[in-house]
Amino acid sequence: MTAKQKQRTEPLLLEVGVEEIPARFLAGAERNLGERLTEALMRLRLLLPDAPPAGTFSTPRRLVARVPAVLLRQPHQVEEIIGPPVKVAFGPDGKPTRAAESFAERNAISVNRLLKIETPKGLYLGLRKQVRGRFAREILGETLPEVILGIGFPKSMYWTSKTGPRFIRPIRWLVAILAEGDKARIIPFEIGGVRSGKSTYGHRVARAKAISVKSFDEYAAKLRERQVEIDPQRRSEVIRSEIKAILEDRGFNAVPDEELHQWVISSTEWPHALIGGFDRRFLHLPREILITVMRDHQKYFAVESNSGALQPNFVTIINLAGDSAGLIREGHERVLTARFADAEFFWETDLRVPLEARQALLEKVTYQAQMGSYAAKVERMSVIAGGICEEMERQGSLDATGRDQVLRAVRLSKCDLTTQMVREFTELQGIVGGLYAREQNEPPMVAEAIYDHYKPANADDTCPRNKVGAIVALADRIDSVVAGFAVGLEPTGSSDPFGLRRAGNAIIKIAVESLVELDLARVTATAIDCAQGSLASANSVDLARRVESFLRERMDFYFREVAGLRYDTVRAVLSPSVPAGVSVPAVALRRAQALEMARDTEDFLALAAAAKRTRNILTKSAGVDLLNSNASVNSELLQEGPEKELFAACERITKELAALVAQGDFEASFRTMSGIRPQVDRFFDKVLVMAEEPAMRENRLRLLVHLNRDIFARLAELSEIAVETQVSSVRDR
Amino acid sequence: MVQRSLDKRAATKGLTFQDMIWRLTSFWARQGAVVALPYDLEVGAGTMCPETFFRVLGPQPWNVVYVQPSRRPADGRYGENPNRLIKHTQLQVILKPPPANVQDIYLRSLGDIGIDFRNHDIRFEEDNWEAPTLGAWGIGWQVMLDGLEITQFTYFQQSGGVDLDPISVELTYGLERIAAFLQNVNNVYEVMWNKSVKYYELRHREEFELSLYDFESASAESTRQLFEIYEGEAARLLKYYFNFDPSHRPARFPLRKVYEFCLKCSHLFNILDARAAISVTERVGLIGRIRKIATEVAQIYLEQSGPAAEVESA
Repeated sequence: MTAKQKQRTEPLLLEVGVEEIPARFLAGAERNLGERLTEALMRLRLLLPDAPPAGTFSTPRRLVARVPAVLLRQPHQVEEIIGPPVKVAFGPDGKPTRAAESFAERNAISVNRLLKIETPKGLYLGLRKQVRGRFAREILGETLPEVILGIGFPKSMYWTSKTGPRFIRPIRWLVAILAEGDKARIIPFEIGGVRSGKSTYGHRVARAKAISVKSFDEYAAKLRERQVEIDPQRRSEVIRSEIKAILEDRGFNAVPDEELHQWVISSTEWPHALIGGFDRRFLHLPREILITVMRDHQKYFAVESNSGALQPNFVTIINLAGDSAGLIREGHERVLTARFADAEFFWETDLRVPLEARQALLEKVTYQAQMGSYAAKVERMSVIAGGICEEMERQGSLDATGRDQVLRAVRLSKCDLTTQMVREFTELQGIVGGLYAREQNEPPMVAEAIYDHYKPANADDTCPRNKVGAIVALADRIDSVVAGFAVGLEPTGSSDPFGLRRAGNAIIKIAVESLVELDLARVTATAIDCAQGSLASANSVDLARRVESFLRERMDFYFREVAGLRYDTVRAVLSPSVPAGVSVPAVALRRAQALEMARDTEDFLALAAAAKRTRNILTKSAGVDLLNSNASVNSELLQEGPEKELFAACERITKELAALVAQGDFEASFRTMSGIRPQVDRFFDKVLVMAEEPAMRENRLRLLVHLNRDIFARLAELSEIAVETQVSSVRDR
Repeated sequence: MVQRSLDKRAATKGLTFQDMIWRLTSFWARQGAVVALPYDLEVGAGTMCPETFFRVLGPQPWNVVYVQPSRRPADGRYGENPNRLIKHTQLQVILKPPPANVQDIYLRSLGDIGIDFRNHDIRFEEDNWEAPTLGAWGIGWQVMLDGLEITQFTYFQQSGGVDLDPISVELTYGLERIAAFLQNVNNVYEVMWNKSVKYYELRHREEFELSLYDFESASAESTRQLFEIYEGEAARLLKYYFNFDPSHRPARFPLRKVYEFCLKCSHLFNILDARAAISVTERVGLIGRIRKIATEVAQIYLEQSGPAAEVESA
């Protein structure tokens, strides 16, 4: 029935000309445009099944997509319209009923031309209509505005009026052509008064002259002539090779900085590297401060020698072919000098007031309205850190000197918030405190701890370098979380205004990677007492439980995302029913890793299935009380054969496990558990748990409780392990 | 330097502070902007002047340019810092609605004072602007000239808590920085105001005295009292206005005076802030009180300039 249709394809070129898109959003916007365009073409049936998706490019002033093969017309399509069931459509006399007639009427067709169509629900009356495919230009003209304006940005704007379009920045021109050369035709549409066409614009230095293009190659070539490289990858290569070229001869390197590299790619159309210099006298300032000024404030790459010594030079990436007169370099040097002079002034004046003396000033710096000042926070941190030290001293992993250093570092940790340097360069908090502490002759461990105590900033960051720093960092985060929860700032859904999830992630990371013996539950208990004692607005209802479950969630995140464990391995270990608990996260992680290794054997999977079955029987028949009880088995009521054998195996393995768990050998523990499989299988195969006789039934349930409590749920809730299809052969009657 | 002759700065060499102001002002006058006068009250930025605050509200087109001395008490340095000033000079431009080639026109204005974007690296870097005391914010960039921030370029989205329709573009040129750049000096006090008088002679003593007052002589107590007096006066008038039923509100109302009280409060708040006399929580509270006046003023402005008001006054 379908008319024979030629499926001709042609390339499509789309360019959205925009006023400067913020560099941090550019790569995401480019990717999103490609995805949305490909998705729309597929939805509109304008792509053949094997057609390549949209290729994309971008500069700060344009988002570009090119699709190599777009159908010029949608394929024709047969549409089925289903009416009433045949049973209803004809009366006993075989004549059409009202239902059939009105359906035919609605579709402007006579009843005798309707078809009987077989559907999954039975035979229905219906008709088939050929729908002719629409032309790509027409249908894309309707769809492209939505494809473009639907690109997701965190903060968009109006530029005409409130009824006008919203986008990241104003759209000023649109190129949309289908086919190339003489066949090239405009896909007609309009956004905010801008009509699509064939004209693009070069770099700003090329003035505002329109360039007409008829193909992608012509487009890319003409723009290149006018100092626009649309391909971020090529700009990246230019930047890398130019930086190398200007520094190599001198034996220097740019201090590597991927984030800055991305930024300069995304903020230039025609990048060019320039080297500039500054007065050597500024080199007495700490490297961290010099680099921050250059990177964060001026977007310059810092320069170091091959041996890593910072040089009085910088590299800036300009958006021009060159700087023949040296004016641009001179301008940048002047700005940098003024910035360094500020930093130098801050450094010198800040040092006149010792950190020690700044403690009193913290009274005036608010941490958060309900949680009080930073002075109050430091007070709470001291109590928490004291608790951590006590715990570690008991384990012999910290001595009295260590304890003094921790408390000193906590006292001074937030003092840098009152310095001019941190007020100007907030991203240097902690680091500046550490540098000042070093200058003021604090013990190296203390200075280092202050310097590091905001680490780890994220999952990829490292923990503080020394134990003192780890304790300070942990105390800081535990206070943020506990005090935050106490005053009702806990994260909900996607909202986490105080960044408590990140703080929680840091807690787990430090506990797992740094303070591996620490009992986190005890430390949080100290923090909770402290928060409830000192915060007037503390809402203590369920505080301990809420914090505990939050930290379990963060552990879940770490175990899965950072340690790379399977979700059900993690769920099994973190299950609240496991008596071993998770109060020492590093130990919980080792257990999870051991389970991950052990779980893929046939025996183990069978065990998991049996655990699930046991749990089901117990929850169904015995209720939660028995499940969690210490009920013991009456060995006299056990019958010879599988029942006695299972009990004996249970007893034996429970004992073996006790020894292995005490040694912390979790891999052997899980292997040992697998050893009970034959007895478990035979038991379920031969023995009826729900025996007629009440005492016997009760005793069998107790045997299962024993099995569950001391083996299946001892180190992890094995019933949580997903049993894949391959083990559905496990007998489960 | 021989190289310098390649720069267009050579052609405008000796472009003084006052010449630069004239050139920029007449550039925008040629674009059809009204050349308004600086406002005669302390303001933190040109945005706060009525020619911006009120005129960006409502539907009427409006193009204006004016110079506005702007005070930032926290930036006071007793005239000792080569770059920071307690009172700096802005050139403020409002384009409502903005033409589609507004960026090109802006770049041409730089050309008129001798900055050729073919020889300088001019970048539009993301920078969104916000004035919480006025309930105003916008989206835009800081314009960077060879790494130096010279202009704030903003598409206003809200003012006085009101969504703007149409949108206005605001351009705020930092005149001292641009002049120092053009004259190739590292210290703003070295800028030539005209051919023979330096910026120093007109402004240095004032910088010193204003810094002295704001950082030392000002009494936090009297400043607070003044704040409350001005706030109280604004509140008294606003209460009078809003006591009327919405359909009978008085056309005879000293709205611009209420707005002046709002500006007074804003400046006094800045002094308190610079003296570190307020805690973070109190800070938020004070900002909220000023914004309340600003948003009510904006509301009245729209009520009075709407179609109904025109009929009433006709």
